[in-house]
Amino acid sequence: MSGGGGGTEGLLPRGTSYGALVGLVADALMRRNVGWRWYAAFGVTLAMTLMLAGCIAWLFLRGLGIFGNNTAVVWGFPIANYVWWIGIGNAGTFISAALLLTRQPWRAAINRFAEVMTIFAVSIAGLFPILHLGRPEYAYWLAPYPNVMGLWPQWRSALVWDFAAIVSYLIFSLLFWYLGLIPDMATLRDRAQTRTGQVAYGVLAMGWRGSARHWQLHDAVYRALAVMALPLVVSVHSVAAMDFSASLMPGWQETIYPPYFVVGALFSGFGMVIVLTALVRLGLGLQAIITPRHFEVMGKIVLACSLGMGLSYATEWFFAWSLGSRAELVHLHKLFDGEYTPLYVAMLACNLLVPQLMWIPQARRNILAVVGVAVVLNVGMWLERILIIWNTLSHGHLPSMWSVFWPSVFDWLVLAGSLGFFAMMFLCFARLLPAVAMHDLGKLLRERRKGS
Amino acid sequence: MTPPAGPLLGRRQAALGLLASALTLTSCGQPEEEILPYVNKPEGLTPGVSMRFATSLPMSGYGRGVLATTYEGRPVKLEGNPRHPASQGATDVFTEAAIFSLYDPDRSRSVRREGRVDTWEGFEAALLPRLAAAEADGGAGLRLLTGRQTSPTLLRLIADLRGRFPAMRWHVHEPVGEEAARAGAQLAFGTPLTVLPRLERARVILALDADPLGPGPEQIRHGRAFAAIRSARRDNAGGLARLYAVEPGFSTTGAKADHRLALAPAGLRDFALALAARLGADLPAPTLPAPMAPFLDAVVQDLQGARGAALVLAGPWAPPEMQALVHWINDRLEAPVDHLPPPPEQPEDLAALGAALRGGGVDTLVILDANPAYDAPADLDFAGALRGTGAFTVHSGPWRNETGALCRWHLPQHHPLEDWADLRATDGTASIAQPLIRPLYATRSAAWLLGLLRGELSLTAHAAVRETWAARWAAESFEANWRRALHDGVVPDSAARPLPPPAARPPALPPAPDEGPTLLLRPDPTVWDGRHANNPWLQECPKPLTRQVWGNAALMAPGEAERHGLRKGDVVQLHAGGRVLEAAVLPLPGMAAGVVMLSLGYGRQRAGAIGNDLGANAYRLRRQDALWEVSRLQLSPAGRREEVLQLQAAHQLEGEARELLPERPFSDFLRHPLEPAPKVPPTSLFKPLEPDAPVAWGMVIDSTLCIGCNACVVACQAENNVPVVGPGEVAKGRDMHWLRIDTYWHGSEARPRPGFQPVPCMHCEAAPCEPVCPVAASVHDAEGLNVQVYNRCIGTRFCQGNCPYKVRRFNFHGYADGQEYANQGEPIVAAHYNPDVTVRSRGVMEKCTYCVQRISAARRQAEKEDRPVAEGEVRTACQSACPAQAIQFGDLRKETAAVSRLRHEPQHYALLGHLGTRPRTTYLAQVRNPNPALEEPEA
Repeated sequence: MSGGGGGTEGLLPRGTSYGALVGLVADALMRRNVGWRWYAAFGVTLAMTLMLAGCIAWLFLRGLGIFGNNTAVVWGFPIANYVWWIGIGNAGTFISAALLLTRQPWRAAINRFAEVMTIFAVSIAGLFPILHLGRPEYAYWLAPYPNVMGLWPQWRSALVWDFAAIVSYLIFSLLFWYLGLIPDMATLRDRAQTRTGQVAYGVLAMGWRGSARHWQLHDAVYRALAVMALPLVVSVHSVAAMDFSASLMPGWQETIYPPYFVVGALFSGFGMVIVLTALVRLGLGLQAIITPRHFEVMGKIVLACSLGMGLSYATEWFFAWSLGSRAELVHLHKLFDGEYTPLYVAMLACNLLVPQLMWIPQARRNILAVVGVAVVLNVGMWLERILIIWNTLSHGHLPSMWSVFWPSVFDWLVLAGSLGFFAMMFLCFARLLPAVAMHDLGKLLRERRKGS
Repeated sequence: MTPPAGPLLGRRQAALGLLASALTLTSCGQPEEEILPYVNKPEGLTPGVSMRFATSLPMSGYGRGVLATTYEGRPVKLEGNPRHPASQGATDVFTEAAIFSLYDPDRSRSVRREGRVDTWEGFEAALLPRLAAAEADGGAGLRLLTGRQTSPTLLRLIADLRGRFPAMRWHVHEPVGEEAARAGAQLAFGTPLTVLPRLERARVILALDADPLGPGPEQIRHGRAFAAIRSARRDNAGGLARLYAVEPGFSTTGAKADHRLALAPAGLRDFALALAARLGADLPAPTLPAPMAPFLDAVVQDLQGARGAALVLAGPWAPPEMQALVHWINDRLEAPVDHLPPPPEQPEDLAALGAALRGGGVDTLVILDANPAYDAPADLDFAGALRGTGAFTVHSGPWRNETGALCRWHLPQHHPLEDWADLRATDGTASIAQPLIRPLYATRSAAWLLGLLRGELSLTAHAAVRETWAARWAAESFEANWRRALHDGVVPDSAARPLPPPAARPPALPPAPDEGPTLLLRPDPTVWDGRHANNPWLQECPKPLTRQVWGNAALMAPGEAERHGLRKGDVVQLHAGGRVLEAAVLPLPGMAAGVVMLSLGYGRQRAGAIGNDLGANAYRLRRQDALWEVSRLQLSPAGRREEVLQLQAAHQLEGEARELLPERPFSDFLRHPLEPAPKVPPTSLFKPLEPDAPVAWGMVIDSTLCIGCNACVVACQAENNVPVVGPGEVAKGRDMHWLRIDTYWHGSEARPRPGFQPVPCMHCEAAPCEPVCPVAASVHDAEGLNVQVYNRCIGTRFCQGNCPYKVRRFNFHGYADGQEYANQGEPIVAAHYNPDVTVRSRGVMEKCTYCVQRISAARRQAEKEDRPVAEGEVRTACQSACPAQAIQFGDLRKETAAVSRLRHEPQHYALLGHLGTRPRTTYLAQVRNPNPALEEPEA
């Protein structure tokens, strides 16, 4: 990766000042008129959110049978969506924590909305395991709480680990994000032009005055939390992987799964960050602080992840072949010659082939190209999630129970609705909170001035 | 304004008056009812404790003994009666499903005249004057149409009826009839004897397009006999009988055969002729082509070597000459066959009735529980005759079917479980059927109607049956005999005595069938001739071999389908005899070339909410001269597709997968034992479970014996309140059966050898479903059962995802809980539920429990008597249903228990044992007894 501590080149506009940087971010929030584009986008995503709510109501009314799941393929879209969303939720905290610790200067302009993306994605991801329950009204039985039945969750189940992993990751991400938000809240409080804004941002700023002691404490706690965040970034997806690998099914029962899922999560997470970065840059007019260099760096990460994915796939194939167990071989065989083969080939193309474009420097610096690759790889990652479920459950140990999954219309509507819900929440965020960490930009500027 | 006439009511009085009138108004909608506990408890009845009664159920007129379990006068489960020769303690799908038909919401509940609800009195008022008038000419215009009748009482009543109407004529119509068999016996012996093959005494059996193991009144008896001669055990000194099958279609008998040859009807005839010629018949022997000649050599050698225990069988669909030929061959081979005297009277057939209806010779027609408007051969157009006739037509039956709708009067009849009756089994054994429940609706019995015809206004079936037997038993011992017969479910010593073997006449030449494509019509393995079409358990019961549900299909060899450019699900037009029928195509390996097979019983219009408009009505191509084989068939694609619902597609086992259902030849199954189930648990981080109970339940299933009949599947459904999901959900892959019979295909596509593997829950000792459940709904009990706690389950479905056997079933909808299929949510349907088993709600997982309620009942009983549970005391529903005794259940801790002994057989194996699940349900591999001379080179 280019640049160490001093590589602020191409990240900030020349000759800018602290005030100009803050104004660039904060003014957008203080402006009353956001334009029809925002309202149009909000209207569309609100409609999709309402559709999602309608689907959920119908689901509770009619039962899980409205989805395409069958006796053999008992898991389907909801679990694939869950894994996909939680994978997306992986990148935000990674960018905030790992890049902070490794002192990557380019994280400053993107970490805030990446964290928000994480929180929204993990929240949505957390919905799916509940929605896919036969009796979602009892989802709280997964939590260890004292009850008259005298029953605790069954600790050997990966689903209990998963429940704990999601909840702790979500709580931690919220805390981490909010901690980073406090100085910016104070900035907004000071710049707010309405009484409502002053009070609201003032309450959220929790009395931040920007004293040296404040900054010193904030920095220490923030870095400490970042250190704690890293294991969580890894664990949440490792545990999601164990939902599969702690089983007895061909194609699932593999030790490669946890690292493979973490790489995949990073891959799809960065993919989504790239897409959002482009949208935020365009929507909020932040071309000055979100630059092609950001895209170039993230393009490189995507490329590295893609290679990691390739390695994982190859490992999976190799072990299935070398262990030679019948069920594993059948699973492998069905990947390349089965009902889902077109999807599998499409997935390989999306995840392995297309990201190779990022070897070319010109493509990395072309924002459209990077965004294109990111969209494609997110489609590929979703295909990967669904195929992990479909191919294994469709071709289990006993051929008599082989069956193909046909998604129902509700499967698609819920997936689309979750995207709409995500987009709607993100639109609200862009309207109400600073999309870029202003104080981090300030630190970057200070660093540049110190260096020059 | 005039002042009120009476005294004004005070406010309080007015209020009380209003209250009183309100009370009267609300209460007048409900009849006055008293709910009182029993003052005197009926003897032997404890509420909540089941009672069992013996009775009999008809199958195409023949009786089969059952033991019915009832709770407070409500029958919920039928099991076989061990004392009855046609049941021997086992059941078949039809017996198991009969309980559901009792509670079928589509049963007829009222008398109807021209389709409108009428009264019994109205019917009597309409009929009686006609009868009185008919007496004048001896009842020449009176016709009676029934199905096959074996009931001594009904036969007596019909004979009595002749006393009043000497000119009355009686017709019998049975769609799966035995006319050809009777005619064949007539040809061979001069009288239409009943010929009963005794498989249990045979060592070599050749089935010439016969299906003794397939559905029918004798399936259970043959299944039991098959088990007796095909049990591969360590200490089985006698060895295994050998079974050959030569057939155009594919039957379960063909599936169980050691050697099978698929031949079109012409080839089959040549084969039979050549066989007869080799045995010395004076017939022109055709020269057989390559695959047939060595097969014949081997068969002839085997048959001759087993003289006295060699048996050749022909199906009831074989033409009379072929039947006679087989009788002659059996005579030469001194085959184990019983010859019973023919029934005393041969009633007239349906064709005569149809002609009379058209000719105007019928004045009054009474149809007793037959459905010719649907199941008569198409060329008779009986429905048309019925529609066009001016006669006084009466239909009596439990359902208002196609015939009931066309008759002037329809009378609702008791269900067999509500009625007194008597029946004879195929071997003549009589049994008395007693009602198990007071009639649910205002129905009447067939005996009452026959009594009415005779002029007796209120004959009860009870009185009629008692009268019949009073004439046969001495008066002083009548009551004792009656009680004995009711209790045992059989009348002692009532079986027909076999005649001394008559000499068979030299056979004549069977007619040569037409060359070219032929349509075979066969009874359906789940709906039989169509009479069970409205039974959802049977519709959802997968048919053997194809595992098709909710419909029938035109079965043909894959090559044949390809030749016509047809794939599975394509609709084909079958042209024959100037008629056309459209049916969906289902390729089935192993069918003879040029043969299409279609089962009867589908395409019904007035079966009810369940059975209407499913599949293709094969009767529309059936002709009086072509009841079972319709030749000169033409096929043309109809250009549309229909979904063929199968619970499993045909799956050829290759390579390592063969070990899922291993096959071993009898000659070396002792020498090469299969991998025994691992005795030592594989290493594990978890401490192995140390169960402390004195019992360890286990099950062993012998796939050699399984004849794929599905009796266990339906028995499990009946016992465990397993809901029906309907064709829509089946299409989505969501059947609910706790027990399924996996069917795998061995061998080449040209010579396939299908095998059956019943798969209940394995109750693994290291069950993969248990650790993955986050809420501990899937847990182990001390006796080794893997149990599912329904009210703890939240429906993550991880258990099923992780189950290598995929035996768990999920309630995606409230299949039994508010979202039932079709009319399954009607209140009456709930009456069939077994009160000892929870009815599962939406969103929970369920699965085989080893019938834990039966285990629990036995344990309670044993504890009360302070003794351990005895061997054989717990019989699971599947085990008790199995005609072939392929399923054994018991305590693995007891070395002497049947399951423990079976676990030591050399062909014992655990399904997917290498996964370390240590299943409690284990298997015995298929042992076949191939003829070394015919050994096929196996890859």
